[in-house]
Amino acid sequence: MAKRTTLIWSTVLSAGLSIPTMVDAHGIWFAQRAKQIAIIYGIGGDDLEAVKRQPNMESVQAWDAELNPIRAQLRTAGPVVLVDTDAPPTIVSAVLQNGTWSKLPDGEFVKKAKDEVPNSVKSETTIKYATMIKGPLAKPVPLIPAQTLQIVPVGTLPDKLGTPMTYRVFFKGKPVAGATIINDMVNDPDAAEIATGPDGAVTLPVRNQGLNVLRAVYVSPSDQPAKIDRYEHTATLSFTLPHAPEK
Amino acid sequence: MKCAIACLPLMLAASPALAHGDDKPRHGGQVVEVGDTIFELVRAKGGVSLYVMEDGDEVPASGMSGKLVVTTGAKKTEIALTPAARNQFVAKGVVVAPGSKVGVLLIDRQTQARQTATFVIR
Repeated sequence: MAKRTTLIWSTVLSAGLSIPTMVDAHGIWFAQRAKQIAIIYGIGGDDLEAVKRQPNMESVQAWDAELNPIRAQLRTAGPVVLVDTDAPPTIVSAVLQNGTWSKLPDGEFVKKAKDEVPNSVKSETTIKYATMIKGPLAKPVPLIPAQTLQIVPVGTLPDKLGTPMTYRVFFKGKPVAGATIINDMVNDPDAAEIATGPDGAVTLPVRNQGLNVLRAVYVSPSDQPAKIDRYEHTATLSFTLPHAPEK
Repeated sequence: MKCAIACLPLMLAASPALAHGDDKPRHGGQVVEVGDTIFELVRAKGGVSLYVMEDGDEVPASGMSGKLVVTTGAKKTEIALTPAARNQFVAKGVVVAPGSKVGVLLIDRQTQARQTATFVIR
């Protein structure tokens, strides 16, 4: 077992540069809630307020196994935001425009652009993307135009946790170097981030025999420097490995 | 949508099986389990029936609406399911060929909760 672990982590370290955690990026991801597809906003064990953010969710899309589009729409069910689809979905995605934030010298963030906060030390517009592979898939995972930042698995997802898996991160449809990934946004949110290599790829062991939520963060430059210093893009990829049948 | 780089195929395992109830066919059909829900699809001369059990209990069809999404080759057809007795839904006169993929979508009329399953017809 120790040898296998060593192999896995050798793979990890060969795929990208491990760097200290630099962001505390909340994100959105898909998870099952009472058999429904829910959009979760938060980080780690924090399953935060999604309904309040629902008006800023857009590009909610779904596809079947042959990648035919399926109608998808959001539905509020109590404090949870669900995705209803008109047929069994294989891939589901969504975007959250999370607004513009400025950081004050004391570390506090306010929801304003820097032209409204003269003493801001950093201003950014944050956009959250989420893709879920619900399977089974008959075709390769597509690049979804609305997912400006997207984590795409390369090859076949394994059946068992611990198996090395390569992912490629795309920004605006092209592999991007320097995006930072963690392997489990829900159960290990403070893990050291791994930077993607020149081909946008990173290899990590699949962490959970259940829900896996990977997170990638990529910062792009501002095109409106009077208002913001940068854009922070945060993407998740969620998928579930099956558990053993009950005996 | 563009294909991911290299267009490597990605096949996922089907949804996990977990039998909380009796997963044997009760009506001579084909069974798929999704979580604790058991779907049984029966193809007969008069059409197709779907029976649904959840955690060992029959799911009353009268409280649900539903449809089948049948994909045979390149042809995709949506067929409404009509609630029948107890946990049975029917689609009269429908013939589904072996090898077809049949998606099931059920919607609870009261809660709007949705359940899905997918059969590959043997």
